[in-house]
Amino acid sequence: MRIAVQLVEVLAVFVVIFYLYCRSPAFQPLTPDWPRTRGKVRLYLVFSGIAILGNYLGVPVVEGQAIVNARAVGSVLAGLLGGPVLGLLVGVTSGIHRVTALGGAAALAGAVATTLEGGLGGLVHLALRRKPEQLMTPKVAFLTTLVGEILHMGIVLLLTHPFSRAVAVVEAIGPPMIAMNPLGAALFMTVFLERQREEDRVGAASSERALKVAERSLELMARGFRPEVAAELATIVKEETGVGAVCVTDTESVLAWSGLGADHHRVGKPVASRFTAQALDKNAVVFADGVQQRYGCTLSPSCPLGSVLIIPLQVDGTIVGTVQLFEPRGRRFLNMNRSLGKGLGTLLSSQLLIARYQEQKSLLVLSELKLARAQVNPHFLFNALATIIAILRRDADRSRDLLIHLSNFFRKNLKRQSDISTLAEEMEHVGAYLEIEKARFEGRIVVETDVEPALLHLELPAFTLQPLVENAFKHGISTMLGPGRVSIRARRVEGAVLVEVEDDAGAWVKPADRAGLGMQIVDKRVKNLYGKEFGLSVEFRPQEYTRVSLRLPAEGAPAP
Amino acid sequence: MMRALLVDDEMHAREELAALLRETGAFEIVGACADAVSALQAIRTRRPDVLFLDVQMPVVSGFELLSMIDDADLPRVVFVTAHDEYALRAFEENAADYLLKPVAIERLARTVERLRVGTGFSDTASQLRQALRRIPCQAGRSIKLVDASEIEFARSSEAGVYVVCARAEYFTELTLRVLEERAGLVRCHKQYLVRIEQVEEVRLGEGTATLVTRSGREVPVSRRLLPTIREQLEG
Repeated sequence: MRIAVQLVEVLAVFVVIFYLYCRSPAFQPLTPDWPRTRGKVRLYLVFSGIAILGNYLGVPVVEGQAIVNARAVGSVLAGLLGGPVLGLLVGVTSGIHRVTALGGAAALAGAVATTLEGGLGGLVHLALRRKPEQLMTPKVAFLTTLVGEILHMGIVLLLTHPFSRAVAVVEAIGPPMIAMNPLGAALFMTVFLERQREEDRVGAASSERALKVAERSLELMARGFRPEVAAELATIVKEETGVGAVCVTDTESVLAWSGLGADHHRVGKPVASRFTAQALDKNAVVFADGVQQRYGCTLSPSCPLGSVLIIPLQVDGTIVGTVQLFEPRGRRFLNMNRSLGKGLGTLLSSQLLIARYQEQKSLLVLSELKLARAQVNPHFLFNALATIIAILRRDADRSRDLLIHLSNFFRKNLKRQSDISTLAEEMEHVGAYLEIEKARFEGRIVVETDVEPALLHLELPAFTLQPLVENAFKHGISTMLGPGRVSIRARRVEGAVLVEVEDDAGAWVKPADRAGLGMQIVDKRVKNLYGKEFGLSVEFRPQEYTRVSLRLPAEGAPAP
Repeated sequence: MMRALLVDDEMHAREELAALLRETGAFEIVGACADAVSALQAIRTRRPDVLFLDVQMPVVSGFELLSMIDDADLPRVVFVTAHDEYALRAFEENAADYLLKPVAIERLARTVERLRVGTGFSDTASQLRQALRRIPCQAGRSIKLVDASEIEFARSSEAGVYVVCARAEYFTELTLRVLEERAGLVRCHKQYLVRIEQVEEVRLGEGTATLVTRSGREVPVSRRLLPTIREQLEG
């Protein structure tokens, strides 16, 4: 009984040591894929240490020939967590120690037994490795150790001579070890699981916060990495993490500061701390915990800040700045905020990348647009000139008017720099085009326009209407033998404005040429500017009509 | 003086070209047409020496129009267009010349030279000419394009050539010879062509034969052509 109590004491010491280990920075939570080499080395050292400690803390019995020990707890757990190889290694290591350092008649048997118990733990690990939630339970640890210790006693009986001594040893060490060590192993597993769960909870909480920051910053970062964006970002990160202060810098100076120390950490000042320089230099997260490494403010001796986490931001592999989280002296920098901060760097960087991509995409649309404008259908020009020359023969005044329309059309094509135009301007542009086409298809075209006067002030991307009208001619009216009709209408429909261009040829085929490109660009630009629910749609009935409708937001048009 | 026919769907283009041609003093304008059907008619009735032809026209393009003209009636062709990308095709069609709009009078003078010496044009009808898949027919005041595969037979009469489909028959400006050579119809009688795939029955009489089409219409077969038709039906 006395021995059993001593063994409990030993186990209590063990659990305390193990608990401290779990709390120490050396503890690494197990990842879903079982530990790799480095993790296994760590486990080997930890559990070998525990097993050897089990030797020393053991209670010698039978005149020092045997030791009531808790070695098995180390090797069984090593096997359970790390597999048979690790279990056997820990068993062998602590066994050799048992034999060489302490000796005694039962030493060899104990060493062999401990090794086999490690192997047993490993076998259980192999059997259940696909279901970690079943493997990592106190119950499994208990049962494995129980079976292991019974086995242990069997081996002692087999290997210890003479047999009478073996029986004496088993009588002395058997009951306490079989009773207590399984309990100890179960306790270890409980401590370990508790620690693991805590890690998960921190992970979950910081993921949740990271998602919140992501949600709030997405639209913001879409505007690119600019001072006004930095200010809002600093506020968001501070609100979501609750740290003492948040700073956003570019590679040279402070772009925004939110929280403590704002009196002397002024926006626009060059970045001063060596930690920032280090993060920018190595493109790595830098952490000064405020204990071993202190954030020493170089600007003001009264600065309350003590610890800092610096996260570099990058786009396309180039560092563009940092986000820095501070806590004042005397306040612990939460682990949760640390892991959150690391995720935040990746998150914000990828948002910046998206912003960059969007920007390039809209640049592309713009250059396509310029190209389309520059290339205003040359055949239109030649046909127009041919028509004007023909008319010149009979009617000099009319050809003069047409030339003015033509030059107006080209001037508007080439010179309009502003990206946004009004419907009135667009109608003017199209009007010049229509005058030329009317002359060209003399007598074959009727043009109707029906635009609510209030809508003339509607804002829309420049060069939007002309491609639609050109399409109506090129793929509509000009394919008809008889007279054709083109209608241009603009009206309000629930919350939006519909601009329609309709021809009565009904000859629509998905245009693949330049006019098709013009239409595509119109659609792309409108969608880019106003969102997916706006843009072009085509209704078509063969031989009856083709109606191209452009849906625009009603804002910008004064209410009637 | 060369007899010139103008084909262009744009009124001002026709007027301008007519004026320019008159100025050269080398042409007599025999007509100016705005579409393919009236052009085919004018080519047959007025026998122009030169056709000034726009490429891009509604319904039937200039190139399509060319392949509808009977080789016997085929005048020399000058394309007139604002598009320079058709030049190669025009060359393949053995065009006499290719004018770009707006047309300069100096450039037209060169065309006159070419037409006079006859360069750029060969007398053999183009082998490259495409098969006709659509036959332009008159339907009231508009042009109806009849799918060549739907034609059961074609007949010529005093009034002209008609193509007959299951539901209706249409007047066309194309000659029987053009239809025979380019629309896949087979001669079965001096005044009839038939589409072999549309023949459902052959009724043999004494030394004569009658073909019955899918829609039940009868087409006479001349004694001389009966062996050819048989061969075709068996093949």
